[in-house]
Amino acid sequence: MTCLLVQPGAAGLDLTLPPELDWSHLQDLLQQYFQLSEAWWLPQAPVRVVCGARILDGEHWQWLSGLLQKQKLIITTVQTEARATAVAAAMAGYSVEQGIMPPPTASATLPALYLDQAVRAGVEIRHPGTVVLVGDVNPGGCLVADGDILVWGRLRGVAHAGAQGDSRRLIMALEMAATQLRIGELVARTPPSTAFYPEVACVQGDAIVLYPARDFGRTTPGGVF
Amino acid sequence: MGRIIVITSGKGGVGKTTTTANLGMALTRMGRTVALMDADFGLRNLDLLLGLENRVVYTALEVLAGDCRLEQALVRDKRQPGLALLPAAQNRNKDAITPEQMQQLAELLTEKFDYVLIDCPAGIESGFKNAIAPAQEALLVTTPEIAAVRDADRVVGLLEAHGIRKIALIVNRIRPQMVQANNMMSVADVQEILAIPLAGLVPDDERVIISTNRGEPLVLESNLSLPGIAFSNIARRLEGEKVPLLDLDAPYNTLIGRLRRFFNR
Ligand SMILES: Nc1ncnc2c1ncn2[C@@H]1O[C@H](COP(=O)(O)OP(=O)(O)OP(=O)(O)O)[C@@H](O)[C@H]1O
Ligand SMILES: [Mg+2]
Repeated sequence: MTCLLVQPGAAGLDLTLPPELDWSHLQDLLQQYFQLSEAWWLPQAPVRVVCGARILDGEHWQWLSGLLQKQKLIITTVQTEARATAVAAAMAGYSVEQGIMPPPTASATLPALYLDQAVRAGVEIRHPGTVVLVGDVNPGGCLVADGDILVWGRLRGVAHAGAQGDSRRLIMALEMAATQLRIGELVARTPPSTAFYPEVACVQGDAIVLYPARDFGRTTPGGVF
Repeated sequence: MGRIIVITSGKGGVGKTTTTANLGMALTRMGRTVALMDADFGLRNLDLLLGLENRVVYTALEVLAGDCRLEQALVRDKRQPGLALLPAAQNRNKDAITPEQMQQLAELLTEKFDYVLIDCPAGIESGFKNAIAPAQEALLVTTPEIAAVRDADRVVGLLEAHGIRKIALIVNRIRPQMVQANNMMSVADVQEILAIPLAGLVPDDERVIISTNRGEPLVLESNLSLPGIAFSNIARRLEGEKVPLLDLDAPYNTLIGRLRRFFNR
């Protein structure tokens, strides 16, 4: 997944930069993530930037710290496999952890990510908890959550709930017209939308099924409604 | 200080340069002074559309290098004294200029002109980033096609991420017959996805291509054609006038056409 990952880390937040993207694309993604997201972290939280093998020079660090500062976030630590990055990070005054990229740690107690603007084409938002969106997911937009996904709007892009493999997760939308739905390891395409009522997607057996929201609680014991 | 507006699209060939040329002319006809910035380095053609190609001596790059003054690089239009073009370099790549330099040039221009219109290159790479860097507002051009709208949607997201919140939509190359036959996205379909205000609608019309080839923007004609009216209406809306949207359906909105649509539903 070419997704940016912002998640709680050992000290404050871990910001994992996806290795596949070039710098310019990564800049877009970072700007969009912070512009769309309501802060779910504490103000002045220390940030560890996980860079993997990516080479980041002084100019890159200046840009990144400027962007994070606007979110009231402070870079304190840099994790990198690249010597050049380690040197530039040390020059910028960050403490450096050298070594291979740590695997992302899932956290069940993470606050939900609250988004209050349309997720437009080309935007991929990933959150290691539940995502709540007030607005549409447009075709070409993508939401990935380790928890549930709640869309108070039209879901026309891609949504993946339980992205770490949890098939008990739900996707809910006021209008379900997704290009693709994924829950845990399963994938489904929604039929062309004729329904203009809220629906809930969940896993039953080995398939993703859709229920009108009003029936969901009745048909699934222990359902949320 | 003038307004700095970028004309952008994402997908190529949807009518950005045509729109920039015509809006520039239309605004000057309304008594405004307008500077057009060609941000399409390497593939410039705004000078062509304006019929000013043979008058380009210096480009933005010479201004930045200090080889000439801004005033010397500006190509003034003899037909419209309020209009000036700052040409892009033809033979350089898109990285010949930085976003900061674009900002610098645009700011100089706003001191002297009411409007600075920036003709953005296609794509979302460095040329795009250069073009949007100085802009306070954006006009987003799209055609009613799924691929163009998808790219336009992506561009809206990027504009917003860069802090450009005033974005208006121009739907170009509309073919009412095709929309009525359900073979083309309607303006409502486009708007439903992009969810930004409309600046105007422009029909698909061969007179646009003819004027492009002649280097004579449509809005200069004494007897305005439908696309000419469409572009000057957009200019009037930019000026804050309330102009009703063109009824592009009118020629097809006959009784038979309505009946046919009714039965096709
Ligand atoms: N409304 C229209 N009706 C018919 N033809 C049109 C219309 N608008 C634009 N065109 C034609 O489409 C072609 C592309 O237009 P233009 O050069 O303005 O697009 P552009 O978005 O600037 O392209 P690029 O992305 O390559 O810069 C031109 O040949 C032009 O004449
Ligand atoms: Mg062009």
